[in-house]
Amino acid sequence: MKNKNLTYYALLFLIIVLSSCKNEGEYHSVSDRIKAEEKPYHGTLTSEELLAGRDLIKITEGEHTFLIPERKSQIKSFACIECHSKPLSQMKGTDKAKAHWDITINHANIETMDCATCHNGEDMNNLTSLTGRNIDFNLSYKLCAQCHTNQFEDWKGGAHGKKISGWTPPRASMTCVECHNPHDPGFEQRWPAQFNTQKAIERNEGLDH
Amino acid sequence: MSENKKWYSLDLGLNKKKGSSGSCGCGKAEGGCNSHKEELSAEEFYEAAINASIGEERHKDGFEQVFDVKMDRRTAFKKLTASLLIGAGAVSTSCSLTTSGDAKEKAQIDWEEQFKGNYKLMTDDEKKKTVDRLMRSYELRTGKNISMTAENAAEDVLFGYAFNISKCQGYMDCVSACVAENNQDRNSEMQYIRIHEMKDGEGFKFDKADDNYYHEVPAEGHFYMGTQCFHCDDPPCVDVCPVQATWKEEDGLVVIDYDWCIGCRYCMAACPYDGRRFNWSKPEVPENEVNKNQHYLGNRMRKKGVMEKCTFCVQRTRKGKNPACVEACPTGARIFGNLLDPNSSIRWVLENKKVFRLKEDLGTEPKFWYFMD
Ligand code: SF4
Ligand code: SF4
Repeated sequence: MKNKNLTYYALLFLIIVLSSCKNEGEYHSVSDRIKAEEKPYHGTLTSEELLAGRDLIKITEGEHTFLIPERKSQIKSFACIECHSKPLSQMKGTDKAKAHWDITINHANIETMDCATCHNGEDMNNLTSLTGRNIDFNLSYKLCAQCHTNQFEDWKGGAHGKKISGWTPPRASMTCVECHNPHDPGFEQRWPAQFNTQKAIERNEGLDH
Repeated sequence: MSENKKWYSLDLGLNKKKGSSGSCGCGKAEGGCNSHKEELSAEEFYEAAINASIGEERHKDGFEQVFDVKMDRRTAFKKLTASLLIGAGAVSTSCSLTTSGDAKEKAQIDWEEQFKGNYKLMTDDEKKKTVDRLMRSYELRTGKNISMTAENAAEDVLFGYAFNISKCQGYMDCVSACVAENNQDRNSEMQYIRIHEMKDGEGFKFDKADDNYYHEVPAEGHFYMGTQCFHCDDPPCVDVCPVQATWKEEDGLVVIDYDWCIGCRYCMAACPYDGRRFNWSKPEVPENEVNKNQHYLGNRMRKKGVMEKCTFCVQRTRKGKNPACVEACPTGARIFGNLLDPNSSIRWVLENKKVFRLKEDLGTEPKFWYFMD
């Protein structure tokens, strides 16, 4: 009799344990859930609306295909050959007004790069790679990727830079020049966007923890 | 009105039925309610009021009330006091011949809002109704319109966040954007996000970090990192809530029903990450700064005495956008996405960068990872 009771208890216990295991948090960790439930998102939410009206170009780099903004129409002085009608060597030294006075180069040092590292004096409408091949202004990221290889990898994956789209597909990423001035790519020191005066008061009164 | 509503309706004469030609809720044409023939004695009125508010629970003993409740104790408490107050107010408003239709409607809304259920248990229809009531109520009070939605979690979505410590420069643009987006109290300067300024070479020392610096940033010899609610997958804050006013949604967001929260602050104590904020006073936002695109679980206006926190901008993210902080960050230090989608940026970060979470040993499973370039 006692034994029978014990078995019942044991059974009951087992049932409780098993059933609670199923209901209470089906997965042991969030990575388990990700593994079990992952699937490419093709749901109803999209970034189409956010991207509507923007001029975008589709690019494929390695295994990543995504959109980037069209650039040439944003450059005020494009096309360059409207002024650069002759090779640069022939335009230098003439008594024309100094152009591009607002550009100062603060990007690596002069042993590493100068204007001609990226611009081709013979063909101002295109950028030029280290080996002298043309790079379209719309694809200027290829120029940066020649040296900044780590950043390029992260950018392709989505870890570096910013998105124009939301978290939903289609993915649209900003390119390097959207945030970095190519002639002076560093970020400035500046004041923070705000200061919390209440927190400062609490801290002064020793109420802060 | 539907039969299976989870709140009580008070007929204030707005939905007039045939036969009651009167202008007040009690159906009398003249003389208001006082001349009611079947007038209740004080005792009967008391009986009826208690019956209406806690119903059958009063017939149970203490044990049953605790363990066999259809509505929990919180409801019983609230109903007993608040229903008497509101009921009295509503009845007097509805029966007075001088009050306007607006006031009656407002009383009706207040009444229905008072007795609505926990959002977590509402059907989509009930969610829509409460959202409609809240929008109408805002319009009645301020004369302005807001747009409030109640989107549910989308399928195949689990939200996650990654923060690049090497990129953050301490500009705090995210904090400003968050305050504006989420209608946080301007008086107490509530902020969901904290940016901690830490000394290089000393590691994470939150007690020595400064989260309210004001000098040019990035400051020499310092690095910056942000914290906010991490939307833990096993959130201790949810476990401790005595009234289930906070819970985890299917898409991983940990949310609060501001109308169900009793302000006990247990969750605040339980959160190991300082993720929760409490409204000690009535939150105030200048009318022209109110973000009118709202979600019931997100940035709708809160009241005094309730808990709130980062919701990963549920009002934006459930429409496919990124949270406001992600959009505002000028350095791209903030990455947001769908953890279940193997093609998402957040997944790329988790798989290709060396990521870690804060206090991982607690087993809270934050869905907020840190990484470095
Ligand atoms: S960070 Fe805190 S408030 Fe947010 S889910 Fe985790 S325990 Fe809860
Ligand atoms: S303060 Fe927190 S624990 Fe208390 S009722 Fe509100 S959400 Fe729940």
